[in-house]
Amino acid sequence: MQPIIQVNQLTKAYANKKALNGISFQIHKGEIFGFLGPSGSGKTTTVKILTSQLLHTSGDVRVFGNPIAQSRHAHYLGRIGILTDNSGLYERLSIYDNLELFCKLYGIPIQRIEEVLTEVNLAAEQRTLVKQLSKGMKQRVTLARAILHKPELLFLDEPTSALDPVNRQHIHEALRKLNEAGTTIFLTTHDMEEAESLCGRIAFINGGKIEAIDTPQQLRLNHSDNTITLTTRQGRVTVERDDSGAARIAELIRKGELLAIHSNEPTLGDIFVQLTGRNLQ
Amino acid sequence: MTFSMVRFQAIVKKEWKDAVKNPQILLLAALPILFALVFEGMADNRLDIISYPALLALSMTGAFTQSTMVCEEKEKHTLRVLMLSPATVAEILLGKSLLTALLTLVVMIISMIIVGFPVYHFAYLALMLLFSLVMFLSFGTIIGLLSRTVSESSIIGLPVLLIFVMGPFFAPDLGGDALVKIVDYLPTQQFMHALSALTEDGGFNEIKWNLLNIAVWTAASLVVCLVTYNKRRFDK
Ligand SMILES: Nc1ncnc2c1ncn2[C@@H]1O[C@H](COP(=O)(O)OP(=O)(O)O)[C@@H](O)[C@H]1O
Ligand SMILES: [Mg+2]
Repeated sequence: MQPIIQVNQLTKAYANKKALNGISFQIHKGEIFGFLGPSGSGKTTTVKILTSQLLHTSGDVRVFGNPIAQSRHAHYLGRIGILTDNSGLYERLSIYDNLELFCKLYGIPIQRIEEVLTEVNLAAEQRTLVKQLSKGMKQRVTLARAILHKPELLFLDEPTSALDPVNRQHIHEALRKLNEAGTTIFLTTHDMEEAESLCGRIAFINGGKIEAIDTPQQLRLNHSDNTITLTTRQGRVTVERDDSGAARIAELIRKGELLAIHSNEPTLGDIFVQLTGRNLQ
Repeated sequence: MTFSMVRFQAIVKKEWKDAVKNPQILLLAALPILFALVFEGMADNRLDIISYPALLALSMTGAFTQSTMVCEEKEKHTLRVLMLSPATVAEILLGKSLLTALLTLVVMIISMIIVGFPVYHFAYLALMLLFSLVMFLSFGTIIGLLSRTVSESSIIGLPVLLIFVMGPFFAPDLGGDALVKIVDYLPTQQFMHALSALTEDGGFNEIKWNLLNIAVWTAASLVVCLVTYNKRRFDK
């Protein structure tokens, strides 16, 4: 099957700076695909190019099979949802009035407003003016607007950066539900836990380059140091994942001293440091 | 390209809800009427003074309101969201302009009545005012799209509009042939010429070149407006 997003050797140079140095990746229908990287690594630049807000310098970029430059039709725009730092709200209007406008623009029933506000935990606030909302609440309204029309493909640039853990959890639930209903999601984040809990596949991006792409599990296995930590009545010991380790575990079990076993897989953040020498923050 | 009445109406409705809560726009609408009240009685049948409130309505209520509204959409990043929705250029720009146009018309007519604007050849007058309205709304849109913040839009907008509005007013007194010649090509100056011709019982033949000038300015401003809009669809 043809990928929904197909990017080949994409580069982007701003006036005096290279932001993307030849990145390539594909996203298939039904995926939640994440870009994980620190600030300044090129995440927003990539999202803006894919959503035709920014022209790229070179490389091949296809969305729904069409080159991005030709994708800018009402038809294409109706199929995608976008949340970036460029996604503003009408401050003097209420949440409801903001969403009502976009219901009309996308040709969807007004009843959807209630539904989508429930998903972002704002149903009680729908008559509140946007200018009276906190930053996190605004981010949730913006997200509600991005998913209002149940887009086939959703772009989210750091969707939960301004949110507290409870609301982040809530948004993650809503995104999973949307994904189960068929929306493909491309999201960026610098939060390894977010990437791990949401994404089927993750690309590590740093300095405009992709350093690795894989499932979170595979990434961790590939970079595991093959040791196992045992918690015993005497304390913790670390053993290798080999015959000597197996013998040791068997012995501890026989003596009734083994309390717990943990395989030592690195966090995505650890792997990121291993690969790039940089922290995610 | 299709034009959706539903989308157009939705944008107009949003614009209306937004404008009534925006004191700046209400002020811009009130100013020309205040000026008209001041000028009333001073006019002495001087056409330039009689026309002044109408030109003010076009520039203040028309162009300035439009540039304020467009620029605020840019500053707050809502214009980009509209551009990335299925709404078309025509729906967005016409939707944004309709309210300003109606407001300007009302303010202009009230101001004209207050100063006792002479109406000869209603059809020609209406045609010229209509062209001017489109032109000033285009100016406003261009200024709004080019400036980064609302305050920057006033800084860019003021000199431009001063030239158009005050040009005809002061040109005769400023002297200097070159300047007078340049001012003479301004659509507002042509509007004055046409107006005085009409007052002296002139007809189409007397004002056809003035009409042409105004029509060309209107068309040119529309084209520049569309080109600017399309450029603003992309980040740099
Ligand atoms: N408009 C711009 N002009 C010049 N440089 C830019 C511009 N936008 C971003 N950059 C640079 O490009 C690089 C990537 O930026 P960005 O894509 O915003 O990163 P991220 O979203 O991962 O934080 C950064 O070094 C940033 O400084
Ligand atoms: Mg960013």
